[in-house]
Amino acid sequence: MALANKETTNVVQRRGTLAARKARLPLVSLVLGGLAFVAIMTAIPMAFLYAQTDVVQGPAQRIFYFHVPIASVGMFAFVVMAFTSIMYLWKRDERWDWAARASAEIGTVFITLTLITGSIWGRTTWGTWWSWDPKLTASLVLWFMYISYLMVRSYMGRTSASANAGAVIAIIGVFDVPIIYEAVNLWRGLHPAAQVGVPGALPSDVVLTLMVALAGFALLYSFLMLQLYQFQKLQTFAQRLRATVEYDM
Amino acid sequence: MQLYLVAAYAIAWLGLFLYLTVVALRIRGVKTELLAVEELVREQQAKQQQTQEK
Repeated sequence: MALANKETTNVVQRRGTLAARKARLPLVSLVLGGLAFVAIMTAIPMAFLYAQTDVVQGPAQRIFYFHVPIASVGMFAFVVMAFTSIMYLWKRDERWDWAARASAEIGTVFITLTLITGSIWGRTTWGTWWSWDPKLTASLVLWFMYISYLMVRSYMGRTSASANAGAVIAIIGVFDVPIIYEAVNLWRGLHPAAQVGVPGALPSDVVLTLMVALAGFALLYSFLMLQLYQFQKLQTFAQRLRATVEYDM
Repeated sequence: MQLYLVAAYAIAWLGLFLYLTVVALRIRGVKTELLAVEELVREQQAKQQQTQEK
């Protein structure tokens, strides 16, 4: 038994020291970060100088080039979180859980910014900071789902029970994503309906700017996913390594 | 109208940059922690070797 414990300790220590050596920024991460920076830096002047001003909403409509991409990526992050959580429950491999935690954190930031920018846009267009519109309410529910996931994970620590509880929240919460997407079609509300893909609904310069911004934020999400996955991995190794040192002392 | 647009972009970009900074600091922190624990492991292994030699 003592020998088995000793061997486990050695394996954890070897993995931990190896992880510390490998902890540099990988090439793929640098490429994704660079591409995200270029795409976002292209989208900003396009949003202000290239895309035409909306006749009805005026300059405030330009919030749309930030709000729509981060909302889309924020919702996609929850789908990734639910998928990786299902994979964790199925395979019992902690790498899936690291990915779920990483996606949850980024998604929370994106959905928070979506609610803030949407609220500012609402003030200019509807004359109010908030309305209990179905799409807005469903987005707020998604934000609460993200917050509850992060709170549960933080409170329960790095245990399998915490991963299981997080996975349950992710799987339940993902049903809110199609509700948000379809809210404008299902119920009558204030929020504008999706115009992308509808022929003639939006001018080509608006669609192009939106696509560049969407690509930029999707790349930023991928870049952050790699960073936070690496962070989760290093934190796990550091905790285990510390535990083995404390165990031997 | 213009003021709201500036406010929205300022808050959003400030929030994103703040988050990126926090992520970078957290990664740096965990790397430092890992190196410190690695040093502890090395010290412990050296101690064990000394004990075995005696």
